[in-house]
Amino acid sequence: MTATVLESQLVVGATLFILGVVGFLTRRNLILIMLSAELMLHGVSINLTAFSRYHGNPQGQVFTIFVLTIAACEAGLALSLILSLYQRRKSLDIFLWGKLGEDDLPVFTGTPAPPITVSVDPNVDLPHLTPAGRMPKTQPGPQTKT
Amino acid sequence: MDWSKENELLVIPLLLGCFAVWWLMPSAKKRPRIVGVLAGLAACIMIQGMLLPQAGDYIRSVLFFVFAAAAVISAGLMITDRNPVYSALWFALVTLSVCGLFLLNAAPFLSAATIIVYAGAIIVTFLFVIMLAQQAGTATSYDQQPIQPLMATVVGFILLGVLLFTLQEWGAIDGTSTNEHAEPRQFIAVPAEIQPNPLSQAPHDNPHEIGSLRVLGRSLFGDYLFAVEIAGTVLLIATIGAIAIAPRRAQGTL
Amino acid sequence: MTNWLNENILWLIPAAPLLACLWIVLVGQVIGRKYAHRPLVLGLAVSLAASLYLLTVVVPHGFGHDEHESSHSVMTTVYQWIKIGTIDVPVTLRADAMSALMLTMVTSVSLLVAIFASSYMKGDPGYPRFFAAMSLFVFSMCMLVLAGNFLLLFVFWEAVGLCSYLLIGFWFHKPSAAAAAKKAFVVNRIGDFGLILGIFLIWQTFGTLDFAALFESPKLIDGILAGQPDILHWICILLFIGAVGKSAQFPLQVWLPDAMEGPTPVSALIHAATMVTAGVYLVARCTPFFVHAPYVQMTVAGIGAATALIAAITALTQYDLKRVLAYSTVSQLGYMFMSLGAAGGGEGLALHAVTFAMFHMFTHAFFKAVLFLSAGSVMHAMGDVIDMRRFSGLRKALPITHWTFLAGALALAGVPLLSGFWSKDEILAVLAAASREGEHAGFYGIILAIALLTSLMTAFYTFRAYFMTFWGEEKFPEEAGHHPHDAPPAMAVPLAILAVAALGIGLMTGPTHLYGHYLHHTPGLPHADEFPIDWLMMGISSILAAVGIGTAYQLYVVSPKIVENLQRRLSLAYQASQNGLYIDWFGYKFIAAPLRGLAAICEFVDRWVIDALVDCVGFIPGLFGSIIRPIQNGMVQNYAAVMMLGLVVCLISVLRVLVETH
Repeated sequence: MTATVLESQLVVGATLFILGVVGFLTRRNLILIMLSAELMLHGVSINLTAFSRYHGNPQGQVFTIFVLTIAACEAGLALSLILSLYQRRKSLDIFLWGKLGEDDLPVFTGTPAPPITVSVDPNVDLPHLTPAGRMPKTQPGPQTKT
Repeated sequence: MDWSKENELLVIPLLLGCFAVWWLMPSAKKRPRIVGVLAGLAACIMIQGMLLPQAGDYIRSVLFFVFAAAAVISAGLMITDRNPVYSALWFALVTLSVCGLFLLNAAPFLSAATIIVYAGAIIVTFLFVIMLAQQAGTATSYDQQPIQPLMATVVGFILLGVLLFTLQEWGAIDGTSTNEHAEPRQFIAVPAEIQPNPLSQAPHDNPHEIGSLRVLGRSLFGDYLFAVEIAGTVLLIATIGAIAIAPRRAQGTL
Repeated sequence: MTNWLNENILWLIPAAPLLACLWIVLVGQVIGRKYAHRPLVLGLAVSLAASLYLLTVVVPHGFGHDEHESSHSVMTTVYQWIKIGTIDVPVTLRADAMSALMLTMVTSVSLLVAIFASSYMKGDPGYPRFFAAMSLFVFSMCMLVLAGNFLLLFVFWEAVGLCSYLLIGFWFHKPSAAAAAKKAFVVNRIGDFGLILGIFLIWQTFGTLDFAALFESPKLIDGILAGQPDILHWICILLFIGAVGKSAQFPLQVWLPDAMEGPTPVSALIHAATMVTAGVYLVARCTPFFVHAPYVQMTVAGIGAATALIAAITALTQYDLKRVLAYSTVSQLGYMFMSLGAAGGGEGLALHAVTFAMFHMFTHAFFKAVLFLSAGSVMHAMGDVIDMRRFSGLRKALPITHWTFLAGALALAGVPLLSGFWSKDEILAVLAAASREGEHAGFYGIILAIALLTSLMTAFYTFRAYFMTFWGEEKFPEEAGHHPHDAPPAMAVPLAILAVAALGIGLMTGPTHLYGHYLHHTPGLPHADEFPIDWLMMGISSILAAVGIGTAYQLYVVSPKIVENLQRRLSLAYQASQNGLYIDWFGYKFIAAPLRGLAAICEFVDRWVIDALVDCVGFIPGLFGSIIRPIQNGMVQNYAAVMMLGLVVCLISVLRVLVETH
């Protein structure tokens, strides 16, 4: 086990962490922001395992397992929050959630994205799943007629 | 300027990497992505040169370089891609590369667990949400406009520079530290002999066993039992929270 | 029992109206609003009885006793108010012959006016408020008279001013009443300013404000005179400025006619009988000072004469019944000051001058009260119409009011053997005595001439008002209804009592010198010989009264055409008299307007200079804030970026230290 391996790993971990930071700071998509945070966690995980190897004991790996656990919790909660936010504005743009700032200040530079209007084309034949515990419809639906 | 000349091996790849990330950022004007990709590759190769020489064990070195390069390049592409779906897929690639690095660090269980949890659960969930939100499948305007790209990139790479400089000064990355008085590994100060945790039930005698399930399990459910319990509780609470938050509600009830 | 009474009689007098006031304010507002006058009447009855008893306590030997040596004052310290180092101001009640007489006058007139008002104010929505303010006024007035030192006197001097303000502005929803109250208050401030400066100067000079120490020991004043001969002049002139404000003397007389906006009982009590005489009381009280300042006394006489003349000229042509009486009040107050000023005419005159001024104040209180209350009764019957051109010939419709008004008018005009005759005649006599001898005989001669002229005019305008109101063809304004009713018993009885007093009280105390002898027991007054009766002045004043009344009869009853002719011929003089010699106008034009301009300048400076400076002080931090405020734009990523910057700065600084140490 050479020191160089440890430090190479540390360099990779730092780079991943910084790239995660840059992604967190620049992206406007709520999901990508969360993904960037996960990227930072990856950088930290690499550091932990490298030190674990270096010291020859499993504590670093144990901590990585905890990181994994917390990352899973965070991802689940973050996604549910993002869904909830999305249902309000029909958009994942973080500019739409700038209410924390002072009232009379203009919202941060950049044009807020227009909400996406989801229009369902009635002519498109989408598959319909039958709810559980019911008999499937034998008659063709109205949409399949046209 | 003397300082930057002495550290040009460190400074030039940093500047290149910074430029690459900034260039690749989505913007209103279409930039040729190839410029950024080339700059990024050049930066990676230069910093890779810093990590040499690697004594012996070439297979291990090659594997490390492959995984590391894959992780870094995928991460750069992930944070700069215009399409969130692609970003998520790049993130999956980052995760796989990181798992390869875990394997090199003698953590096979961790590697498997990360693949299962991240690639199997987290990324898939993210993809679901992305697809739910962007059913049209086209890139939306807010994915084309980064926030403060220059400032964020510069700040991030200054931080990276500080970290790498620290490693170089006190960790002797290339073995030619400018600090003559510093002993190697001084900053990352660890005693050669680690005193084993007297309460630990994990065996330390065999260094090749540290990533094995047996050692990890002993450590987790022996030394860190309470922490595991608490982590489990956190998971439970997060689950309940996600169930409580996510459902569709009437406007203004949450 | 007698000892107890002697000791506690002093605080009983002001306490009774104060309790009445508290009762009305705390309880009477809610319970028995219709009977809010009862506590006041009861309290005033107690006060009157106590005052009468006080007369015997202060001078145990009775009215006729003519011995100055036996005089003494009664004192009670109720409360230790201020005691800081050498400043010692206890709340001391002090009564001597002068205050006892004044108290008797105040409480008796107040009692009668209160009974009158209980009927007069009936049905007013502010019924309890009126009686609360009136109780407070009587309390303050009693305390003013009983005050044992100058500071306490000043406190209640202000308190009566406050009550006056409250009562003038009683119908505050009327803009004219509110403006009149404000005017009275502001004009009084000028005088009060002089008074408090005088009090400061007394403190500076004598080191004490206590009446007993100041007035009962001639050695103290003599000692000061030896060192600073001029200081008493300044003290006296400042005190007199205070008196000018409160007693509505020229040039501060402008507030009193406007003060008639208040309810008529208030005009009768405060603005004719009691409060306005406080200035006279103050100057009389400070006689030991004034005798050493002959030039100030001449000023007092001069101001008094000017006031009396101006007010009398103005009263000649007024059509507002209450305004005639108000100007008459100002004129009579001028008379009192003339009398006080006559003390400068010679050594032996000081005592008599003060005595006659106080006597005139005493009689004036009664006959002016009856005049005002009768005017109030007329107003009551005429549906609050007060313009004499709109009614006439009321002597059949309002017989009681007619007779009481006539009694008051006769007394005021100075008809022989009535009270006004005795007091006015004595003032004329003392002025004549001053003009006969001494170095300022010429000056007092002019004053005497003015006094005689004023006396003639007084008789004329009083009876002009009387004839215009009660004689001629019978005419009512529409507001009165078809059958104006005369005063109800609650109004008639006080009117009758006051009328009898107006007729007889001078006869009772004047020729017998009862009043004068009693007053001479006041400690600190200079000694003097018996004043001879001036038959010549008596004759002249009787003739003047007769001429005045006769002229009024001729002009307003026999041939009113002459008046119209005169008005046309002398339209300029008529206008001047009608407008009060333009003194009000002059005050507005040359005093109020420049002050208004000054205020406008001050407002400009305040708004655009001081405010701008203050705004500037606030603006600079605001500017700094607005520079860094955009950081708080609500974008989480911005906050994170700043956090990263901070992290970089921290790391770099740590690194610098590490590089330097290695």
